[in-house]
Amino acid sequence: MQNMASTPTDGRPDEFAVRLAGIGGQGIQLIGKTLALAATRAGRHAMLAADYGGEMRGGPSNASVVVGPPVAEAPRLRSLPVLPAFHAAIVANHRFTGVVPERLVPGAVLLLNSSVVDPAGAGEGYQVTAVPATRLAAELGVPQAGGFVLLGAFIALVPLVSEESLVEAMTSLLPAYRRQHAEGNARALRAGIETVAGVAA
Amino acid sequence: MTTESTIERGPVVPTGTAPLGLTPVASTSPLLLGEHSLCPGCGEPVALRILLETLQELGIVQRTIGVVGHGCYGSFVRIMDIDVLQCLHGRAPSCATGIKRMRPDVATFTLQGDGDMVNEGLQEVLHTAARGENVTAILLNNGVFGDTGGQQTATTVVGQRTKTSLEGRDAAVHGHPIPVADLVASLDGVGYVGRGTVGTAGGVLRTKKMIRTAFESQLAGEGFSLVEILTMCPTGWFVTAPQGPDYMASSMEEVYPLGDLRPRTKGTT
Amino acid sequence: MTAAATPELTLMEGAAAIGEAAILAGCRFFAGYPMSPFTPLLEHLAEALPAAGGTCINCESEIEGVNMALGAASTGARAATGSCGQGIALMQEAIAEAALNETPMVVFNLARNQQDYFQATRGGGWGDYRTITLAPKDVPEAIEHTQLLFHLSDLHRAPTMLYGDPLLAQTRVGVRLEKLDFGPLPPKDWELDGTRGGTGQSRQVWTWAMGKATDPGPGPDLHWQNIAAKFAAINEIEQRSESAHCEDADTVVVAFGSAALFVEHVVAELRAEGHRVGWFRPITLWPFPGPALEEATRSARRVLVYELNGGQMIDDVRQYAHDRSAIRFIGGVSIHESGLSYGPLLDAPVIRERILAALPEGDPR
Repeated sequence: MQNMASTPTDGRPDEFAVRLAGIGGQGIQLIGKTLALAATRAGRHAMLAADYGGEMRGGPSNASVVVGPPVAEAPRLRSLPVLPAFHAAIVANHRFTGVVPERLVPGAVLLLNSSVVDPAGAGEGYQVTAVPATRLAAELGVPQAGGFVLLGAFIALVPLVSEESLVEAMTSLLPAYRRQHAEGNARALRAGIETVAGVAA
Repeated sequence: MTTESTIERGPVVPTGTAPLGLTPVASTSPLLLGEHSLCPGCGEPVALRILLETLQELGIVQRTIGVVGHGCYGSFVRIMDIDVLQCLHGRAPSCATGIKRMRPDVATFTLQGDGDMVNEGLQEVLHTAARGENVTAILLNNGVFGDTGGQQTATTVVGQRTKTSLEGRDAAVHGHPIPVADLVASLDGVGYVGRGTVGTAGGVLRTKKMIRTAFESQLAGEGFSLVEILTMCPTGWFVTAPQGPDYMASSMEEVYPLGDLRPRTKGTT
Repeated sequence: MTAAATPELTLMEGAAAIGEAAILAGCRFFAGYPMSPFTPLLEHLAEALPAAGGTCINCESEIEGVNMALGAASTGARAATGSCGQGIALMQEAIAEAALNETPMVVFNLARNQQDYFQATRGGGWGDYRTITLAPKDVPEAIEHTQLLFHLSDLHRAPTMLYGDPLLAQTRVGVRLEKLDFGPLPPKDWELDGTRGGTGQSRQVWTWAMGKATDPGPGPDLHWQNIAAKFAAINEIEQRSESAHCEDADTVVVAFGSAALFVEHVVAELRAEGHRVGWFRPITLWPFPGPALEEATRSARRVLVYELNGGQMIDDVRQYAHDRSAIRFIGGVSIHESGLSYGPLLDAPVIRERILAALPEGDPR
């Protein structure tokens, strides 16, 4: 992975907005927090806006994460808490958002959990990557970590932060009664990275 | 024949100070800065006197904050030489909570009438008691809103005439009175609850003892303490001042039992 | 900021950042009743304030909470409470009381699904009082405003308000928590500490300010005249606002709080497309920065008021805008289907369309 502290030179927006879409129980909020926290600890501006209903399982669970420039390069983030456009989307479950979440810019990275989402529904115009995250997580023996498979696949496609920073952020976010899942989540992250190794953003 | 020039006049002795060489047997409380302006026969000034005497006798005058509500007794704010917060109707226990949490070594008390505590502030006193806040609430209960002219309160006894129940409180129409001290006495978090009366000399002495017990309980950190004091209101009751104590005995004292409703269990009484 | 300096940020949700800012400001007492979206602030302080040596009470009603804060503040401690909407409505009596008996405290109004401008600025208590209200547009500003409000409360001996909303409370951003110093404050020579009993110098905190029989105070008439005069003086010195591109704008958009953040974003976009649009943001809702607004709208042919309600701040805009006939309301009531946040009107594309619809045909010229 290249040095994460420098401004990207590959034409990516300096405030990169990712839409996470899924249902309660898939870990959407945790992976959103993990990404935002990793970016913050890597010295970048970051924002997380969550959007979910009241049910613990089965209701909509969405999040928007913005990874911004290094702190030294900008005094604050310009992105709004309600984003007019997303530069990438991770769809763990399409039930409440459709296969293509609203406001995804044309040509954006669209990462789908193909265990649940049929990639044929993505239509034209996006860089679609399909990862059977639910199955992969089950095969690894960590069925609840499908979200981390997707997160790993995502940073392989769009290297906003390092794998190491994600593992560290994830571990610190787990409450004490869930800390035993850290190792399994890290393995899921690695599996996601390996699944898309070689695919350019 | 005596003339002006042959009458010997001693030095002018201020009220409350014994003449030279004599032992005072009674004194105006030095914590009182002036006379009250309440009706003849009102029980509230009696309650104020025994409260202030208790603070002196306990030696806590210089670590006491009072929270005074709204009623005829509200005017006591001007004549009590104590640090005082005059607060909103009913809210004294909440204000006292904030004070005590910030100044845990200061004895904190509320002074409230029945309209204040049992009408407007029933929620506040119950929650403060259940939370076990180490404050002492003093309830001056005369069964009417005296300051606004004598309307019915939540403690008006059935049959009592008030400005809003001129035929007498009728349970079928106006409901029943609330014995707040009994309610509070049933809560965990409470250190001491007593109910007294100032209608008789004996009642005054026993009530003063209850006030002392309540403050001792607070100072020992035993939780919330409440002394409900039945006070005469001849004006509100449509009786004469001399009739007040007997009327109170035959009406309110029949409904509200006197005594230690929740004795201290931890310390000595 | 130089490239060499990389001060660290901490990812925090707004409610937690506000709580930490209160602790930094020396707040030692907080009481609150759960009510969305204020609840996370209460939860954060329930854990963090005792750890910092203070007291946090999950009180049994909003009325109790604000009166507890008043009591705590009367002893000289920095105290606060908070709620939103209906809960703030319950607190009006005590806010007025604190204004009239001159007790400082901060009220955190994390409003729910509309911009309750009237509630914050017009109050619902009795008497001639006003409530200094700061409306941050984002979490970093909320950290500054929280600390500033404790300072202003003590400086002016009055309750003050932070006006926020669900976006402020729930969004997580990287922030820097720094203690800010706003300058010297007068000593609290009015605070109740219980030590003056029997000295003839005992103190009282009382809206009627009658004093003691041996040391009469001004009494309600003079005291309340003084209070009214105090707020008139505060009005002159505590106005705050921010604006951009108004000097050459023929359209100025006025918004506050989170809505202003969106307006700023949209106006930047429109300017890049050649439209002569500017924005004006009141930072103090009260005292309303009228003269600054008048200045900012001096050349504007259109003053577009964008707020998430049926039109509240617009009343103050009508008082001060340079040309009242230029004013248009482009906001509205817009509630999320859950009832717990703003609806679709708080969105950059929608705001953009409403501004464009107000511009003349063929703009930009």
